[in-house]
Amino acid sequence: MTAAPAAGRPRLRTRLLGAQPIGALFALPYLVFVAVIFAYPLGFAVYIAFHDYFFTAPGVDVPKPFVGLDNFASVLTDPQVLQSFRNTAVFLVINVPLTVVLALVLATALDSGIRWVAAYRVAFYVPYLTASVSLVGVWMLLFSSGGLVNSVLGPLAPNPSWLINSALAMPTIALYVTWKQLGFYILLYLAALQNVPRERHESAMTDGANAWQRFAHVTVPGVRPVTTLVLILAIITGANLFTEPYLLTNGGGPDGASSTPVLLIYQQGIQQQNPDTAAAIGMLLVIVVGMLSLAANRINREA
Amino acid sequence: MRFVRPLALVSIGLLVAACSGGGDSGGGGGDDGGEAAATGPIEIWLSNNEQELAWGESVVEAWNAENPDQEVTAQEIPAGSSSEEAITAAITAGTAPCLVFNIATAAVSGWVRQGGLVDLSGFEDGASYIEERGGEGAQAYAIDGSYYQLPWKSNPVMIMYNKTIFEEAGLDPEDPQMASYEDFLAGAQQIVDSGASESAIWPAPTNEFYQPWFDYYPLYLAETGGTVLVEDGEATFDSEEGRTVAEFWATVYEDGLAPKEASTDDAMSAGTTAMQLAGPWAIPSYAETVDVGFMPVPTSTGTDDVYTFADSKNVSMFTTCENQGTAWEFLQFATSTDSDGQLLELTGQMPLRTDLADTYADYFEANPDYVSFAEQAERVGDVPSIPNSVEVWQTFRDGYSAAVIFGTTPIEDFLSETSAQVDELAQG
Amino acid sequence: MGHRRSTWVRYLLLTTAALVFAFPFYFMVVGAFQQAPTNSPESLVPTSGWTLGNFAAIDARIDLVRSLVNSLIFTVGVLLGTVVFGLLAGYAMARLDFRGRGATWVLMLLVQMVPFQLLMIPLYVQITRGFGLGDTYLGMIAPFAINTTAVFIFTQFFRALPQEMFEAARVDGAGELRILTSIAAPLVRPALVTVVLVTFIGPWNEFLWPFLITKDASLQPMAVSLANYISNVAQSTANPNGAILAGATALAFPVVILFVLFQRYFTASDLGTAVKG
Repeated sequence: MTAAPAAGRPRLRTRLLGAQPIGALFALPYLVFVAVIFAYPLGFAVYIAFHDYFFTAPGVDVPKPFVGLDNFASVLTDPQVLQSFRNTAVFLVINVPLTVVLALVLATALDSGIRWVAAYRVAFYVPYLTASVSLVGVWMLLFSSGGLVNSVLGPLAPNPSWLINSALAMPTIALYVTWKQLGFYILLYLAALQNVPRERHESAMTDGANAWQRFAHVTVPGVRPVTTLVLILAIITGANLFTEPYLLTNGGGPDGASSTPVLLIYQQGIQQQNPDTAAAIGMLLVIVVGMLSLAANRINREA
Repeated sequence: MRFVRPLALVSIGLLVAACSGGGDSGGGGGDDGGEAAATGPIEIWLSNNEQELAWGESVVEAWNAENPDQEVTAQEIPAGSSSEEAITAAITAGTAPCLVFNIATAAVSGWVRQGGLVDLSGFEDGASYIEERGGEGAQAYAIDGSYYQLPWKSNPVMIMYNKTIFEEAGLDPEDPQMASYEDFLAGAQQIVDSGASESAIWPAPTNEFYQPWFDYYPLYLAETGGTVLVEDGEATFDSEEGRTVAEFWATVYEDGLAPKEASTDDAMSAGTTAMQLAGPWAIPSYAETVDVGFMPVPTSTGTDDVYTFADSKNVSMFTTCENQGTAWEFLQFATSTDSDGQLLELTGQMPLRTDLADTYADYFEANPDYVSFAEQAERVGDVPSIPNSVEVWQTFRDGYSAAVIFGTTPIEDFLSETSAQVDELAQG
Repeated sequence: MGHRRSTWVRYLLLTTAALVFAFPFYFMVVGAFQQAPTNSPESLVPTSGWTLGNFAAIDARIDLVRSLVNSLIFTVGVLLGTVVFGLLAGYAMARLDFRGRGATWVLMLLVQMVPFQLLMIPLYVQITRGFGLGDTYLGMIAPFAINTTAVFIFTQFFRALPQEMFEAARVDGAGELRILTSIAAPLVRPALVTVVLVTFIGPWNEFLWPFLITKDASLQPMAVSLANYISNVAQSTANPNGAILAGATALAFPVVILFVLFQRYFTASDLGTAVKG
């Protein structure tokens, strides 16, 4: 879709292999890697989802019958699973727009020729590289019942407090993840901004555009491919949320209000040794996330 | 000691065991008798708890000195849930070691179903050794009469309290008189009202499947005189006693005596709680920071000689083990009277064997703090050996959390609905 | 005037954000040097209780040098694979029209979308039993060898480059590998730096996989030995926070250094002149 066919090549070959078949060779190491590392476990997971399956020691022969869509049926009628998907939706609605807007705004501010830019960059990157155990400590310090946020709010503090309030637990996690991951997305945007030709800004300036207009008409369109990337990555990481409900709300509390599909996959597949229903949840998750990513891809391309 | 009878298990566990290397005949661990008798080097995994590691290393050293041709190599695995993940994966891949000295009963049924564990009763002296060492109580750890784990050591759960806070609140730190629910709640209220500490007791109000073992379950065992959660494939807690215990905890949460949020620090050493449910492992941990006392868990009427949760860790042998003869010999060596004495001395955890107080009289004379735990170790119940054990506990926790901690569903519904779900799961 | 005000707004925005972002790092480092750090607001600005004991305790229990070397081998292996093969794949995906490109794109999305928890056990079985790579560096590196996020990043950055540049180079008769190495790759240098920084974090902090694959303590990277240490301390010490924060600091320190060293490579390559020239 990008490269024009090179002149003089036989058209049939182009139609069969594409204009630059060498591309396949370039992508080959990656494809081999995916085939070797992911294809087997993934195919296996799909197989598991359609069988009454559990893992056995080598040499142990136990019938694992094909059960069709049974696992999917039992997963789809499990209120916990449905709740976890609803929780993920809440998460994405808060996290994704916030991430895209904040990351682009901060990256643009960083890129506008200010001083101490190196120090700022380091500061933004720091939560992304700090291990979750200490980050969770910080978040507790802020959002537990007797934490800083509640002491500042005084009588306005929510009751029950943030992390044990079933309406606020998921939004609080969404904020936390935005904060933790933002450095990564700022890095992406910063790198992308380097590639927006400076002369476009200059010509906009000669036309009398103010800072906001330049941002809207030069910067935003200039980084569109990276915005697509940020959208897709934010959706995918959000949908694969595990560490935060595992550590921050200790297993999806309060009362399941912050459980996520991957947390259930972990509980059912690994802790409870029911890989079949876990795989079914996984398949559903992949389908939902796939549709969301494609939608994000399309919307951003048309916008 | 009272334990449940061996459970009638309608699972494929036996089937798996029969066709795996487990073996269920007199032939011992291997179906051809080859592996069961085989001797040679073996590998074992130990928990990474520092004191346990020190114990393990000295036992291994002693063994290797005597048996140079059957060398034991020990590796440490992290304690906690990640060790169970590692074991599950290792069984599936056939890379499990011969013995693991850190097995939680809740995980055993799953590994039996995987065909990963050796039936120790298959060894000629297997069942007799386990029963002689552990007494009648050992039978509770069998699945359909087969021992896939050797009950090794327990950490009987008691109420640990901060004596300084108790004194400040006007309670007698030597004899707090909080054995009945009424007295316990009154004392707890007194602690919170006096401002001596933010909360009276602080069990983790979180959602992990094992949390009931440190709030509901010890009190349930106490209230029922040792009835385990599931007996003969049926849930037992939809009962008068089950409701009494659930209502007790609901009152604790409702009256603000225990926080509904997990502590961000160790609440005991931070002084934000006056009491905690804990086993003897806690004694060395708090030795320097908090002046702690121990009392049995309360019951509704404040009876004497109450039961509690054993919180045991056990030893299992894995079917991939080639030299099962050596493994079985080493297992006996590591759980002998001497090795158990060493374990007690180094870790303060109670070996699951009969007549602790007399066997190690010298130790208990020198360490009076541990006497109450040794007495308590005579009256314990454990996690029942049932199919889908982890799922049963997770289901229980989910229902409990909604009804008791957050009060969003009626306790009656929780008991009847959850017990019906557990019945179904426990059938296998 | 207006220009000056917008500069002020910018500094205010950035400084506020930087404080919010740097806070956890401050919290971690301060706590690591405290005897008994707590998660309460009072301990934010400690005046006493400073100690090096938390680090001394780690050093006594873990062979820090050894685990650091293991971490480096693990991480450098992943970085090499990702940069070399990721760059090739990303360029092909963005700039070359070949059969199967659409399918590869879908595959890349799929790899990203499947949660690791689902694949963990089959993958472990495959790598230990299928390939016999238990307790080896290769087995540790294999699942991370080419970071798919990095391939995505390269693809999107190559896509953002102007089409006319590539056409001009092809008309001049340059081969694709040459276009990639001498024209396209230098232009996405900021992306290259980004990829190094984000790829580095993954294997560096990864705990679960190397823990599963190595039982031999002499092969374990620092994240695993620290996690072991922390889980051990947490259950046998009354106040484990100091140990946890010291462990996290020890793990984060090399990454901060790396970042400070690398981040000057973010400077723009002047795309305008590249296109014209």
